Amino acid sequence: MYSWRLFKDTENPVSPASGLSIDDTLPLSLSHHGSPPILHLYIFKPSAIVGKYQDIEAALRLDRCRDRGIEYNRRSTGGGTVIMGPKVVALGLGIDIDHPALGKGIGGVFESLSAVLTAALGDLGIEARFRPKNDLEVNGKKIAGLSATLETEKAILFHVSLLVDFDISLMLDIMNQPALKLYDKGYSCFSQRITTIQEQLGHDMDMEPVVESIENAFTQQFGVSFEEDEPDTWENKCIQDFVNTRYTNPDWVFSHKHPRSSMGMGELKTPGGLLEIYLSLAGSTIEHIVITGDFFSTTKDINLLESALKWTSARREKIEEHLSEVWREDMIHGVDVPTLAEAIVKAKENLVRM
Amino acid sequence: MAIIKGYDMPDELYYHEEHSWARVKDDRVTVGMDDMFQKEAGDIVFVDLPDEEDEVEQGEVCGKIQSRKWIGKLCAPVSGEIIEINEALEDDTGLINQDPYGNGWILVIEPSDLENDLENLIHGDAVVDFIDREIKRAEEERAKA
Repeated sequence: MYSWRLFKDTENPVSPASGLSIDDTLPLSLSHHGSPPILHLYIFKPSAIVGKYQDIEAALRLDRCRDRGIEYNRRSTGGGTVIMGPKVVALGLGIDIDHPALGKGIGGVFESLSAVLTAALGDLGIEARFRPKNDLEVNGKKIAGLSATLETEKAILFHVSLLVDFDISLMLDIMNQPALKLYDKGYSCFSQRITTIQEQLGHDMDMEPVVESIENAFTQQFGVSFEEDEPDTWENKCIQDFVNTRYTNPDWVFSHKHPRSSMGMGELKTPGGLLEIYLSLAGSTIEHIVITGDFFSTTKDINLLESALKWTSARREKIEEHLSEVWREDMIHGVDVPTLAEAIVKAKENLVRM
Repeated sequence: MAIIKGYDMPDELYYHEEHSWARVKDDRVTVGMDDMFQKEAGDIVFVDLPDEEDEVEQGEVCGKIQSRKWIGKLCAPVSGEIIEINEALEDDTGLINQDPYGNGWILVIEPSDLENDLENLIHGDAVVDFIDREIKRAEEERAKA
């Protein structure tokens, strides 16, 4: 059986600078140092981590982070802000892009890794499924987020955050999303969109059985065994270089290489009730959307619609196209795709630059 | 204009295997990403471009492209100096999806070894084989899954 390396520590939370530097070293070690794939399972100190091309000052309330002792940083993979802590599994995987067990192309890569996580959660008694393109959900609620980057010619870095427990109040306090800022029912709004392993199981859960399930799922899905290991001398130098040049470097943390952030809210009276849309854009792309109001629908359906729009173009025709891909009759009673798209466009018309 | 298996792959262009394209005109090479890439990637969120006057080698990663939560690469199809970047992409990265060979161009290179570089790129009849190979690989992976 082919052997992968495993860097594992779920007892000692690390700073974002330390954890992310190790992760960034993983694909380099494959490409330039002859390492087999490396799985890094660990936990962070309470921290907020933005995606590579996010505007950190628009995404986070940095003053609140500092007041509460929450570290913040920027990872090298795509996507939005994640709130990490001792009860969130952090997973970094460095793997060859042409690994035979890995799906082809962007969609295939995410599907392959999602299958591992779905199996791991299944082992714990939780029925999760992949919500294209980048999330894992349980009954319509997000339980894990996935992101990736092609850092070298041969190897990719894959990131996962898997929620064992999650502090929504902390997220509401330190994040700067429009629905969080404007929506006075933020807690209930987000508790309907996010779930955790502990919530699903109905009891406290240690981290060790969770990471064991992940290890076992990799073993089965990829047909590999793991050898627990630590970074060697070459890798430690690489890690220290990333700490110095990226994760303690203000030019990286506060990078201006990102699309312009804007946020807005729109309302539309419809035969089905009032639609309220909270929208944040990264350039011309929908980064975050909350669909709420006094209409009849289910949490699962609303989450599905929101998810279909995240990280897609905010052009009306694209909004209608992506909604139509998941739309079913009466998903929102008395509302059709063009009407919902119209409400979203109204939010777009009220955008304020952050 | 050639449509190959549903992908628009204009005849006059040269293609790098990582799906960047090159259009040669008046000793300038305009570069973008091909239709197969933009369809596979989906909506482009951000393009991280090099600076003008940067030197690049053929095949070198000279930019990063984010679609959804994936960050992929822009490989230089030819060597030379970057003399222009498409500033319109700052406001609307969707141009790469809507018009990959027109308004969605990404940068212009003043080539340093054009004749040799073009020999290494995919062009003419070879484009059909290239697309066939890429589709076959994708189908094999889907079958495995």
